[in-house]
Amino acid sequence: MSGKESLSKITALIIKEKMFSTRMLLMFPILLLFIPGLAWGFSDPNIILPGGHRPETPMEVLFYSSLGIVFGGTMCAVLMSFDGVSKERASGVLEVKLAQPMTRFHQTLALVRGTAIAVIIPVTILVVISIFIIRYRMGVWPEVMDVVVHIIATGLILTWYTLFTLIASSKAREQGTAIAFGVGIWFFFTFLWALVTSMVAFSSGIAIGQESDPSWIALEGTLDLFSPNGVYHHILESRLPDVQRGVSGWQIGIMAFAWTILPLWVLARRMEDLVP
Amino acid sequence: MAEVVLQLIGASCRHYISAPLLTKPWRKILGPGIAKIDLELHRGAILGLVGPNGAGKTTLLRMLSGILPLQKGIVVSTSQHRGQTIERELTTSLELRKIIGHMPEQVRWQGKKSVLDAMIEIAAMRGSSKHRILGLIKLVGLNSRIDSPLDELSQGMRQRLTLAIALLGSPKILLLDEPFNGLDPVAAQAFTQLLRKLSEKGVSIVISSHQVSGLIGIIDRIALLHRGQLLIEGEIKSVEKELELSDRFDLTGTSQPPSSELIEKLGMQLIDSKIDQDVWQMQVKGDANGVLKNLINEGIDVESWQPHAPDLVEMLCSSTGLRVEDVGLEITSSAFLPLLQREVEEE
Repeated sequence: MSGKESLSKITALIIKEKMFSTRMLLMFPILLLFIPGLAWGFSDPNIILPGGHRPETPMEVLFYSSLGIVFGGTMCAVLMSFDGVSKERASGVLEVKLAQPMTRFHQTLALVRGTAIAVIIPVTILVVISIFIIRYRMGVWPEVMDVVVHIIATGLILTWYTLFTLIASSKAREQGTAIAFGVGIWFFFTFLWALVTSMVAFSSGIAIGQESDPSWIALEGTLDLFSPNGVYHHILESRLPDVQRGVSGWQIGIMAFAWTILPLWVLARRMEDLVP
Repeated sequence: MAEVVLQLIGASCRHYISAPLLTKPWRKILGPGIAKIDLELHRGAILGLVGPNGAGKTTLLRMLSGILPLQKGIVVSTSQHRGQTIERELTTSLELRKIIGHMPEQVRWQGKKSVLDAMIEIAAMRGSSKHRILGLIKLVGLNSRIDSPLDELSQGMRQRLTLAIALLGSPKILLLDEPFNGLDPVAAQAFTQLLRKLSEKGVSIVISSHQVSGLIGIIDRIALLHRGQLLIEGEIKSVEKELELSDRFDLTGTSQPPSSELIEKLGMQLIDSKIDQDVWQMQVKGDANGVLKNLINEGIDVESWQPHAPDLVEMLCSSTGLRVEDVGLEITSSAFLPLLQREVEEE
């Protein structure tokens, strides 16, 4: 069996194990409420959002429903991967695996792919259900490109959170530390990033939260590149008309690439040096 | 002597340990590990790797299994081709892992995954067939548990599963870290027979243990490890002889015990004696054929007589020249030991 065949086979086994785990069974109803549930709510023809805004296109509804992915999907990725390395390390199974004639990089790649895809598949199914809900409620289908961008961006953000948590899992000797680290990162980027943005704005002398102030918009747009959630929203916003936040497409592309490659590189290096 | 299949030459691997300073909080220095070991593994031989806790047995096995990289030294694989011996340096740990099966100490297999699925996952890394997996499950006696979840396995069954996984790639060398832990006497006996069969097939086996007595009768060679260094290695008899631990016998009797003068007169050496009410016990050193015969001729009523198998403590004390408490509690400066001095400030 070649290295690539082994990699694919182990990836498939990890997907099967994680996707049908009790943990996923517990997370699925939450994801169901968060993703198609939000799509149902935001596609309501009578909905009026704070500020008097009303979602008018299917992509706008998808954009607002992405909040469910930011809250539920990423938390699901954290919960699926927090013990990806630490559990096997503590039980001694990791030592058995590291003694096999498969490179540590390939083993790492299989773990990342398997764990991320185990979350991406159910989330994508729920996104597709959301699209049908939008069609039912608004009478229009989203454009194919909108759907493609939404699914790719969702896959990326789930992979990023999987990577962060696996790094934590490889560092922590105890599973409790790994989950605390994973949830901590999730909390930081999901809730506390606004605080970081506000602090930077304050120290730069920019009025905080002034949506009509171009310097605030530019600052918020730039700082969002340094948050995975921010990059995710930048990618989705690229499909929305009339959104100008002072960030160009190539910058978003580079940061999306960086958020994928850098954590993968850190994890691969960590796994190379790991003593079981 | 059987042909050599693998050689470790000047192999070192020491762990990095944190030693923070105010100016360098991330500072790490070289800590314990294995220092400059030369070791040969012979085809079909069972080597007992013995040493006290922290001697470096697990580290050495991890080096041999390609899990830990060698910081210094080389690994040479030897094979026979058309009557010629071919030596090849293994430059990557991947090459080493292809020829080695590793059974770590007490792996706690857990989860809802079945025994078969756990083996399939590891077999995918080795490219082993399902036929091979099923054969190994049968070999280790887990056939009736093939679909059982890992959570339902006892410790002994988990040990068997780990052994089956270690055998997946038909390894030339099998490394077993404390394999008898958690096995009941029946399973341990079956396990020993299995190891014998494997060694007869030419598999070189290394068993690590902190108990010599449990290995006697199983191993052909013994390697004594202490503080990351190989104190002595060779066939059991020659090691015993070299450490002056051979030709010792345990005697017991109920009548008048032999006096120390008599023992000396018979050309024997009294090592230890204990008299408890009517029963006496003695440990003497002398000629294997003469001890019992001479005592009986002198009218001593000997109830039992058996060769004394040396234990780890005796071997360590003999090879280091230290007393039990000094070896065990490490209260003596390493300068007194015939061991290498560590440069603690190495970074």
